[in-house]
Amino acid sequence: MNLAVETFGITKRFGDFTAVDHLNLKIKHEVFGLLGPNGAGKTTLQRMLVTVLTPTEGTATVAGADILREADKVRERIGVVTQASTLDVELTALQNMNLYGMYYGIPRKERLEKINELLKVVGLADRAKIRVAGYSGGMKRRLEIVRALVSDPRILFLDEPTTGLDPQARAAVLEYVQRIHKDHGITLVITTHYLDEAENLCDRLAIVDHGKIVAEGTPTELKRKISGGDIVEADFSSLPDNALKALEKADFVLGVKKRDGGLTILVKNGAEAVPKIVSLIDSNGGKLRTITLRELTLDDVFLEVTGRSLRE
Amino acid sequence: MKGALAVCWRDIQKFLGQPVLMVSTIVGPFLTLILLGSAFGGAITHAPIAIVQESYGPYSSNFIGILQNEQTCQFGGIECQNSFQLTNVPDLDTAQQMLHAGLVKAIVYLPLGFDDALAANSKVTVTVTLDNTDPLSAAAIGPEVAQAGQQLSSLVQTSAAYNSSMTFDLENAYRNVLYIEFMAPGTFVQAIMFVSIIAGGVQLVVDKERGIIEGYLVTPLKKYEIVVGVLLSGVFKALFSAVTVFFLAVAVAGVRPMSIFPNPNASEITLTMVTLFLTSLGLIAMMTAYAVRSTSADLYRVTCFPINLILYYTSGAIYPLKGMPTWMQEISIINPETYSIDALRLLMYKGAGLQAVIGDFTFLAIFTGLMLILAIVAFRRGI
Repeated sequence: MNLAVETFGITKRFGDFTAVDHLNLKIKHEVFGLLGPNGAGKTTLQRMLVTVLTPTEGTATVAGADILREADKVRERIGVVTQASTLDVELTALQNMNLYGMYYGIPRKERLEKINELLKVVGLADRAKIRVAGYSGGMKRRLEIVRALVSDPRILFLDEPTTGLDPQARAAVLEYVQRIHKDHGITLVITTHYLDEAENLCDRLAIVDHGKIVAEGTPTELKRKISGGDIVEADFSSLPDNALKALEKADFVLGVKKRDGGLTILVKNGAEAVPKIVSLIDSNGGKLRTITLRELTLDDVFLEVTGRSLRE
Repeated sequence: MKGALAVCWRDIQKFLGQPVLMVSTIVGPFLTLILLGSAFGGAITHAPIAIVQESYGPYSSNFIGILQNEQTCQFGGIECQNSFQLTNVPDLDTAQQMLHAGLVKAIVYLPLGFDDALAANSKVTVTVTLDNTDPLSAAAIGPEVAQAGQQLSSLVQTSAAYNSSMTFDLENAYRNVLYIEFMAPGTFVQAIMFVSIIAGGVQLVVDKERGIIEGYLVTPLKKYEIVVGVLLSGVFKALFSAVTVFFLAVAVAGVRPMSIFPNPNASEITLTMVTLFLTSLGLIAMMTAYAVRSTSADLYRVTCFPINLILYYTSGAIYPLKGMPTWMQEISIINPETYSIDALRLLMYKGAGLQAVIGDFTFLAIFTGLMLILAIVAFRRGI
């Protein structure tokens, strides 16, 4: 059992539409992020890995078991937190977790001990006997995540774990997710479209688009795919053609991309480039409105490999 | 005021955009009209009657002939049908057993000496025993038999020019059963149906929409365990409802079932529970199968309404089946509620025992078996 997840040309078609296309992926015992725009196929991929969907072609091993031939074993060894909440809000936290433990056939005494311990860890012990309907969004999410840990899974699949949460609740959930990996040694497979989340949380990432992996590696490796250092965002009141041409030809500029109202300019060294850009535009009769310097982010990588921005 | 118009316009647009919801607002009331209107107040025809004949002669065969040809007409005499469906039974004991088992609605007893008496113009009494646990049928049958007697009398009069002295003795076979009691079993079944629609079905559709069912599927739970769990909880809830309505009917509505009055009777209580259990399991399985295949909770809800109406009104819950148009009687044959209501009435007001309800049980068991298969197949495919 060297790998947590390994897929072998896994494919899913819905009619004519290919959601996942001969995808090969290896996930070690790490925090792994699946990144991609809506409809890229990451949720379909995850649903196949957790044995809810049957692949049209190919297969995968998850936690050492084949998803087609040994689906039962896979289910025993994984935990899943879906995007939409599956908590029973009419029941208390304790009841929710207890039922979940019963699905896995965990003996009562062991189950209750485990539940109490987990509720403490996630800071919900004092509210264990309150109906979940009275919980905040962040509390519900945390409860849902610890619920998946009742069965001691080897791998935890999290689908968009922080969607719809306010920044504070999001931070709490993320902190907790990190602790799960550190303290419990559980492999995490997270789908997300929050880049900062992916960057801070994940050991490695795969960017999925059109059912295929378009880039894979650690966040740093991925960013290195774009040669160069910094990004300059410039907006203009007026930008004559010759100013744009001069900019594209300048030796300190690695690339220029047009976007609405301005340019995104990739440069070797941001601090040196900004004054040069200002004077170059000025001398070619252009007029700057704003100019900002920022570090390269995963969004730039994303834009580069998929041609789309995640923030759009 | 412009705001109010906008809100109004939004609602109307949404209403127009959902043709199924729109149709259902029309279908519901219309079905109620057709079903309730056809179910209630129709003339009782083809009422099954046992003839026990101990006297053979021209008068008795004449009388039976009149009964056989007696017609009941509706719509101002346009639609006429035979009032009775006669069965010749060798002796009074057998006839009473048939009445007890609900196979006939009345016994007409022509005693030894019937023909002789009429020929001699002396007094004769024809006993008509009525199954008054079905008060509406009993109320219709008694006078109609007497009417046949009058016809015979007039024949006798013309031929013999004497006043016939035939009298009718209308006997109730059971204690006086009120209409509210006649109706009560239908409401127990209705309670089961409501639970099946709401708790068994709607909850399942909502769970499916919310992804709870998918949540089940990523745990080691087997699909059959999910089906069995859903069905068991449904039966529990349905029985809870039905039994509560049963006791409310006893406590508040004056219903007096023989399983409790005058003395509690364990075997009657058991058989009543078996009826309710079979009905619950069958209906829950039916609605579960339907819910699993439904794509939206709204659609499921609006289609359940007419399904419930049809099953309830064609089951004989509120009026004797023999008083309904043929098409409704045909639906009643395949309607599971018909059989559970029949069994409940036999048990509650006649204390009729297993032998009388075994036919109803057989149908309910077959229905329940089929629905269970359907539910399991639906679960395999639909989830």
